[in-house]
Amino acid sequence: MRDARDAEDSRLLENGEIDLLLAGWVETIDARCVAKMRGPVGHDVAQAVCERLWKELKAGKHRTGRWPFRVIVYQVIGYVCAGWYEKGWGEGELIEIDGAADDTFTGDVELQLTLEAFVATLPPEDGKVARLWLLERLEIDEISERLNKLPNAIYQARSRINPRLREWLES
Amino acid sequence: VNLTVQQLLEEFVGRWTRDEPLAVDELLVRAGPQADELAGLIDRFLERAPRREPTPEALAYVRALDDPPMLRARQALGLKLDDLTTALVSRLGLGDWALPKVRRYYQQLELGQLDAGGVTASVWDALSGLLGRDARRLAEFEPAAPTAEAMFRVASADYDMPLAEYAAAAKAEPELDEVDRLFTGG
Repeated sequence: MRDARDAEDSRLLENGEIDLLLAGWVETIDARCVAKMRGPVGHDVAQAVCERLWKELKAGKHRTGRWPFRVIVYQVIGYVCAGWYEKGWGEGELIEIDGAADDTFTGDVELQLTLEAFVATLPPEDGKVARLWLLERLEIDEISERLNKLPNAIYQARSRINPRLREWLES
Repeated sequence: VNLTVQQLLEEFVGRWTRDEPLAVDELLVRAGPQADELAGLIDRFLERAPRREPTPEALAYVRALDDPPMLRARQALGLKLDDLTTALVSRLGLGDWALPKVRRYYQQLELGQLDAGGVTASVWDALSGLLGRDARRLAEFEPAAPTAEAMFRVASADYDMPLAEYAAAAKAEPELDEVDRLFTGG
């Protein structure tokens, strides 16, 4: 499943707008690296990830669009985080995920698990709220207006959605 | 306040949906002993969530990725070269007399023109403290190789200098001082 941003990433890649493409991922890379490394060293790791991706994009890699760019980002994050404290780890091993044909590749990235998939698991009414909240990122008053419901009903829906979200993340 | 992982996760998701800074490290600190659990949830959320729109800061960051990392780290803090030099001299316990030389060495280090292997641990420690990053790692920058072919001069001043004058000039070289030892004696 390709999520909402995958098509935009592909477009940026095809147009050679690689700076915009990577800029869209900088925040996610930084936050994920800090989470994975359990602290501020993650910022240094994130820099290494960005440098690696930038180098690869400038070299024309990943243009085939075979995998959503997020898959490549997540592979590099996993690779750099795992190797950060290993002695001698460095630039030697490049990631060639879109090189040789390997249709089974997904690494540790599960393509099907997106927020859209989570929303689809919810009962219809909560699903509507979750879609507007998590996918369209609307505030409670905006959701309430859009669905013609009282703000309190949206609060209640969110209080049901939150534990479901956690369960889904833990699954 | 003893916040649960659930509350912190909800706070994180709220920041994410409102396009606010995510500040994951701050949340992990607040999670205390539950930091591992929260980190795993945040990581999995971000893995599954669509990315946000790029900010102008992120775009500027990417466009500067070709600059040396240490330079970027200093610029990210809004530190001018002179400010950093003054702070570095202070941390190294040197006097004002050392400012020009420390400035020169630091700039060479920042631009990848100084052998990082010669820099002593006390300089790395001081720089890491000032930049808030592991300075030794930041210095692992290889400047781009020149794209044009090297130009060779037919003659040079060195070539034309008589050997005796050369020896005298070498003798006149000042002895290594404390700053030299800090930046080249490691």
